[in-house]
Amino acid sequence: MTSSSAASRKALSKIACNRLQKELVEWEVNPPTGFKHKVTDNLQRWIIEVVGAPGTLYESEKYQLQVDFPEHYPMEAPQVIFLHPAPLHPHIYSNGHICLDILYDSWSPAMTVSSVCISILSMLSSSTAKQRPADNDRYVKNCRNGRSPKETRWWFHDDKV
Amino acid sequence: MEQGSRQELPPPAPFYRSIFSEIEEVGWEHLVRSEEDLSSLSFRILDKNGRAHILEIALPRNYPESAPSIAADVPYICDIEWSKSSKLKNIVQQFREHLQKLQEFWSIMEDIDRNLWILDPKQPSLATSYRQICLGNDCSLLLNVYARNAWSLPECRFFGPDSTVNLLRNNWRKNSRKWTKDKHFHENLAILLETTLPRPHTVSNKNDEQVDCGICYAQYLPVDDEFGDNSGSAPDYTCENLSCSRAFHTVCLRDWLRSITTTRQSFDVLFGNCPYCSEPVAVKVSKCS
Repeated sequence: MTSSSAASRKALSKIACNRLQKELVEWEVNPPTGFKHKVTDNLQRWIIEVVGAPGTLYESEKYQLQVDFPEHYPMEAPQVIFLHPAPLHPHIYSNGHICLDILYDSWSPAMTVSSVCISILSMLSSSTAKQRPADNDRYVKNCRNGRSPKETRWWFHDDKV
Repeated sequence: MEQGSRQELPPPAPFYRSIFSEIEEVGWEHLVRSEEDLSSLSFRILDKNGRAHILEIALPRNYPESAPSIAADVPYICDIEWSKSSKLKNIVQQFREHLQKLQEFWSIMEDIDRNLWILDPKQPSLATSYRQICLGNDCSLLLNVYARNAWSLPECRFFGPDSTVNLLRNNWRKNSRKWTKDKHFHENLAILLETTLPRPHTVSNKNDEQVDCGICYAQYLPVDDEFGDNSGSAPDYTCENLSCSRAFHTVCLRDWLRSITTTRQSFDVLFGNCPYCSEPVAVKVSKCS
């Protein structure tokens, strides 16, 4: 779990707070298909349930995403991880970290929680094999101190899956 | 565009004749639109309180064998009861009855719009059952009125600073039994929340055209020392790519450009890309920060 890093985070800035409230309202009114935001009082951490899309390897399987927002969201990407157990996928590590460029280098404030969720679901949907990344054990071991995936230097080797 | 060579044949003349006589029964004055092949007809129907509704009726090819389908700007549509002897006027009648059922819902929505400060939607349609309401103190409330049972306790979500929101939510739970049909909706709301609710915010129409910043999603920057002269200002930068034309606060765009490594600076100008369309954008580095 990466809760240790989350606990040390600073409170949301006024701009971040305002933007997240608007995103939440938009989500409530128009939630992305396959996702359910678990209602909590915490604006800075969203727990989102995702259901595997019909006709894919993950059909009807339920997983949980934990989305943590930095003080200066949306200038910085949110931290998005799968809570245990994370789906078996070539780009998802067993500790829940997700190798997806838009969560790191390719983030832009034009994206939203909703669009990030849709990207993650499409990444799941296009998978052809339920397996862990080749370097899973090494990577997870390196993260044992509760390191955030945002501190990882990611290589986005292929965009097929 | 190439036209398909196999165009469907127009329906036979008796079809037109029978539809025309059915329109006659409804009244031509109600017909506002129709497709040339009569595959779709739109009628303007007034409800008992004078609200105008457009009822769109799609006629299947084998009408009246199979039932037409209907669409209208309502929170939920009614099921059409249809038999082979049914006519258009029967649909219109059923739709009128449906409108009648929704009168309570619309008077509640009207009460909300007239007495409370609505943040969203700016121009609600008759089908919209939610409203985001300003509660003051940086708090807002997302209300959803159940169209099928408009007088039941609405679904609520509170947004804002934790302490205030917790207080409001507790009041809401504690007082939920006080919700009563005998009072106006906005009065009920004020009683349950134990607070006075801000009145509608009268802004000139000019402001309505103002758009939100594509980065912070707000129309106005917060009023705060941190923003100096820019406190409370509206978006003042527009992406020059005409097919994008996104609006931003210069402050927000500058903060974004500064936070990524691909931005280049030349003298006091930052060069980067629009977060939406990736076309080049340039903003001045501020003097004060």
